[in-house]
Amino acid sequence: MAAERIAHKDLPEPRYEHGADDYVFVELDREMSFDANFRSMAITQEIAERDLAGVEEICPGNASYLIRFDPEELAPDELVERLKSVAAETDITEYRWETRVIDFPVLYADEWTHETVMNFRENHQDPEATDLEYSARINGFDSAEAFIDAHSGAPHLVTMMGFVPGLPFCFQMVPRDRQIEVPKYVEPRTNTPSRAVGYGGAFTAVYPVQGAGGYQLYGRTPIEVLDVDQRLPDFAESIVFPQPGDVLNFRRIDREEYDAIREEVEAGSYEYPIKETDFAPEDFFEAPDEYNEKLLEGLYA
Amino acid sequence: MIEVLDGGLSSTIQDDGRFGQYHIGMPPSGAMDGFAHRVANALVGNDADRATIEMTYGGCDLRFDENAVVALAGAAMDGDLGEESIPMWESVAVDAGDELSLEFATTGARTYLAVAGGIDVEPVMGSRSTYTLVGIGGHEGRTLEAGDRLAVGDSAADPADLAGRSISDEHVPEYDETIRIVLGLCEYRLTDDSREELCSTEWKVTPEADRVGYRLEGVELDFEPREQPFGAGPDPSNVVDLGYPVGSIQVPTKPIVLMRDAVTGGGYATVATVISPDRDLLAQCRTHQSIRFEAVSVEEAVEARRRRRERLAEITEGLQ
Amino acid sequence: MTTHTIEAPMPGVFYRRSDPDEPPYVEEGDSVEAGDVVALIGVMKNFYDVEAEVNGTVTEVLVENETEIDAEAELLTIETD
Repeated sequence: MAAERIAHKDLPEPRYEHGADDYVFVELDREMSFDANFRSMAITQEIAERDLAGVEEICPGNASYLIRFDPEELAPDELVERLKSVAAETDITEYRWETRVIDFPVLYADEWTHETVMNFRENHQDPEATDLEYSARINGFDSAEAFIDAHSGAPHLVTMMGFVPGLPFCFQMVPRDRQIEVPKYVEPRTNTPSRAVGYGGAFTAVYPVQGAGGYQLYGRTPIEVLDVDQRLPDFAESIVFPQPGDVLNFRRIDREEYDAIREEVEAGSYEYPIKETDFAPEDFFEAPDEYNEKLLEGLYA
Repeated sequence: MIEVLDGGLSSTIQDDGRFGQYHIGMPPSGAMDGFAHRVANALVGNDADRATIEMTYGGCDLRFDENAVVALAGAAMDGDLGEESIPMWESVAVDAGDELSLEFATTGARTYLAVAGGIDVEPVMGSRSTYTLVGIGGHEGRTLEAGDRLAVGDSAADPADLAGRSISDEHVPEYDETIRIVLGLCEYRLTDDSREELCSTEWKVTPEADRVGYRLEGVELDFEPREQPFGAGPDPSNVVDLGYPVGSIQVPTKPIVLMRDAVTGGGYATVATVISPDRDLLAQCRTHQSIRFEAVSVEEAVEARRRRRERLAEITEGLQ
Repeated sequence: MTTHTIEAPMPGVFYRRSDPDEPPYVEEGDSVEAGDVVALIGVMKNFYDVEAEVNGTVTEVLVENETEIDAEAELLTIETD
């Protein structure tokens, strides 16, 4: 593969916005980039470390972050000043973190999401095609197969958690010209199967539970991202599994493997294959394909 | 124990909420009208964080297996305790074997029933609040049904001292139709006309309005045309997926106010946030009711929050 | 003979059928018994059964199917024998 690098994005001045009396929303950029996301993660970690009195929730986002606080303990303007000083002292060129590289099996074009996709055709951008065919076409792929190869061909970084508990937003670790981008549904679906793998904007999402949704649907994973009863070993610490900064490697599986993994999950014995390693953003920017290969090394040993 | 004879239309066990988990996508849940929930608790001598039963539109029928002290606060609901009618905003002694039968709310949408000692269910991640989407908290993570049996916690106070307490009329809230908001977040996406329309339009609460969100009917709001930023998706209402404050107003085209069981983030432009004390008022707005938004400053929002806290403190002190 | 009017106890959407493909619960002229479900009111994705409070004959359905109604809206009349 060509030795492509990922260009750094110069971020604009952040926007500090008040969400009434008890939230501050900070937009680091209006568009998505690794720079904006790494900055969101670095700043929110630093805010957590400073343990500011009055700060109640710290939520990193894709290219922004959200703080909930008690304005009677920490005045809104005072909080914004503190956030600005954290930002001034945060330099992401030195930012590193311990990451988990995780095998994430996906049965693409599975029967369950296919049925859902076909049930909501009348309001879709392309009623004649499946979500996979439509996404392939508008992103310049010859076929759904080629599109699946691209989606599963490079790992994805968890850049935000949210919507519902356990749902990871994932941004593929490739240069901008290879990023997939698709619209959300014209009208959100009233139904999405649990464990569906979908795509909207520049993000893959895994739906933890059955419910409404607006992302294009490509497949279903046999594994869980949310386990409220904490039955599975990887959920001992938290009811949700993914965390911002995790690297998910969406791996195409067949129905037989899907069923086998599903059986293990239902028996409560499934364990995620995980490799723990350090993530060095500068090395990743310099040679993403080589770096991704190195990240995955040993995961399937 | 309390036996549920009829769960009403949609009743759940709620406390102040499940905080500290927003970053994993967990909304706070908790009482939609925190003011009424806290007053109900105060009337029966409970700390503010004890769990109450939140009843939406339709009241429950309950049978008490033990002596208890209860209080109703929030939306006005007629009902009978045994042969007597039960008042609102007042604590009442219940004898073992008594049945409490509540009707439909006549003004407001949500009524809170507090029991001295609180409804004692197992806390999940630090809260007894029910979050039905993933089925956690409250009683089996769901709305109450006939046959459910609810345990009552221990009360520090002597029941004899708790019954017959009420709050003065001046403290009984009026469910106003003006909801104060702070403009901001991604408000730059709206056209000047639409920003003005957000505050001048008489919005009507739709029948879908629930604990997740209040969907409003009125005019369609328009966005400033732009080339969409990378990652947002092509629809003008889309932004790169971000965190949503509780109380924020998102605009697929018509506004949805995110309530206590809402999604924690997503890709719709949010344009304003309902101030924290007025989230309680909005929770009492009924389907088909008209509301108006009034834009206030952050300072005014903090001041309104302070007044709400002081008022609750005054009510609690007045009962001691 | 007295005419008994059933009112909506809460706001919502009035449904005459349990499902769009099902026949209405009652038609004018049907006889009903107290406790029979005669309509639904949908609110917050919940459905409340509107029941006849008396035995008698449905004389008039006052609201169209799927109309948005307020609390205390008059829904249908039943004439008792």
